[in-house]
Amino acid sequence: MNENSSTSHDLKSVNCRISSEIERFVGRYSIGRDGEPLNERASLHFLRIKVPGGRLTADQLLGIADLAQKYGRGRGEVTDRQDVQLHWIEAENALEIFQRMGELGFTTDMCGQGFSGARYGDVRNIVCCPVSGIGKGELIDPYPLVKKLTNFFTGNRDFLDMPRKFKIAVSGCGSDCTRVEVNDLGLVAVKKDGEIGFTMMVGGSVGASLPGPKLAEPTFAFIKPEDAFEVVVASVEIHRDYGSRESKAKARFKWLINEWGVKKFLSVLEEKTGRKMEEYNGRLFLNEDDHRGVQPQNRRGYYYVHIPLLGGLLTAHDMINLAEVAKEYGNGELRLTPQQNIIVPNIKDKDAATRKLKRLGFQLHGSSLRWNSIGCASDFCGKTKEPHAKDAVKSVVERLETRFDHGLLNAAALKVHVSGCPNDCCAARTAVVGLHGKLFKEGVELKQHYSLLLGGDPSKSKLARQVVEKASLEDLKNGLEALLKKYLRLKRNRETLAEFCNRHTIEVLKSYLDGG
Amino acid sequence: MEEKFTLKKVGEKRYLLDARGGVCPYPQLLTLRALSELNPGDMLEVLLDNPPSVRDIPPALQRKGYKVSEVLSVEKGVWKITITL
Repeated sequence: MNENSSTSHDLKSVNCRISSEIERFVGRYSIGRDGEPLNERASLHFLRIKVPGGRLTADQLLGIADLAQKYGRGRGEVTDRQDVQLHWIEAENALEIFQRMGELGFTTDMCGQGFSGARYGDVRNIVCCPVSGIGKGELIDPYPLVKKLTNFFTGNRDFLDMPRKFKIAVSGCGSDCTRVEVNDLGLVAVKKDGEIGFTMMVGGSVGASLPGPKLAEPTFAFIKPEDAFEVVVASVEIHRDYGSRESKAKARFKWLINEWGVKKFLSVLEEKTGRKMEEYNGRLFLNEDDHRGVQPQNRRGYYYVHIPLLGGLLTAHDMINLAEVAKEYGNGELRLTPQQNIIVPNIKDKDAATRKLKRLGFQLHGSSLRWNSIGCASDFCGKTKEPHAKDAVKSVVERLETRFDHGLLNAAALKVHVSGCPNDCCAARTAVVGLHGKLFKEGVELKQHYSLLLGGDPSKSKLARQVVEKASLEDLKNGLEALLKKYLRLKRNRETLAEFCNRHTIEVLKSYLDGG
Repeated sequence: MEEKFTLKKVGEKRYLLDARGGVCPYPQLLTLRALSELNPGDMLEVLLDNPPSVRDIPPALQRKGYKVSEVLSVEKGVWKITITL
């Protein structure tokens, strides 16, 4: 055997040795980038554990607790896509982590890697109503569809090189608990002439990609439940096959929808699926249930307890405690919510369960703000300085709850979203009160300030308006207090804070923030 | 295994690992595996388009005693890391 063929043979066996250990994880597992360049927490990588439909068992949560303790410095966070993120992940431990995740039944998405071109986009965790199958008055249980779609897309090489990521949300309860408007594709359960199905919204994304922040547009199409899987897959194929590859900035689905219009999108979809879409012109959301607190389930005698985490942070110890509560009082199941919270469902003795949770240190009372407010993981991605988003959201909510009656805050229908940087991962533009972080150079230092956006109301297709460009968190909290006092004095009947803000000019709102 | 994740001999004691398209942690793991198969005096060039890997691989290799002789931007969004054993 000459030297060249010997070398080829050696290389082939080397390639086999390189690949065999790794191959089974490729396309199903990855770690994401943390920490550049300002990361004070010194995490280089995160692990985004995809939890399909937000549903997991107590044993799975115990497994995550174990991973958090071994590899993630004992903590994790629930994300607004119902995932669990761990940080401080070392690349060299990745394969054993992936192995363990496989044993637990989890995968990851492909995370944001920072590729420069319009490539390698995948379908992210599909957001599902967190009380699917148990919520009273639910129109349709979306979980079977979400699970089927998740199984289809996970590791599917036909969908790992799309122009950009693709985000899907499915709501079955008639409310907007899954925030469909910030997704590339949202399905909302509706009723048409007594028949239950879905209507679809497309092209939502409030990040900086072109053509800028955009709420998903209604298609006015009615989709029968049995057709929903095919319609979603065909829509993702449209993104894959027709989405712009010209640049990363133009590669989100919203760009294509903006270029085509909804009509053309539906036409292409009909061609792909071979069926004409029925029309739906009814109401989009039938109620405003945020599933907060302790609520009876559709099965008599059973309850779920929705625990607000305010930013989604959990220690491994918390995870273990929650798993044990689920086993002792529920049926061993837990649900992660798109508001970064956790639900223990299927509880019979709700009083005993809530007493136990309180003894374990979980706060179960508060205004609706506590359940509906979210903050991004800006302390890890490295684009921000203190005060970070999760600390900021906690601080704002706690300030407002100590100053105002909780009933009044509930009636104001407040939601606070805090994004630590202009990427706006927590969609501050869709919140009634949005804080949008940015770094400013002051002398030789970089300081974290926030802009304030007010009046986001996706149900009325309204993005929040920027009212303050740059302020410290403390100044913004003082301003919000002043604004709320004004709102409570001047509001009309049952007017929400969003409605109040949207009938005033920015100049007037500024004066209210200043105490005028 | 995809063609792009294979090791190729490109010259006398010169090898190329094309890790383009690899998401973290694969470029780093593949690089370490490839290096473990080569001999003193060999040179490995790794092609990458994943910015976090470009950030992480040089210090990770240096911690293991490898010599990173060059990190070069070869075109927009593509880098080459050269390691001599």
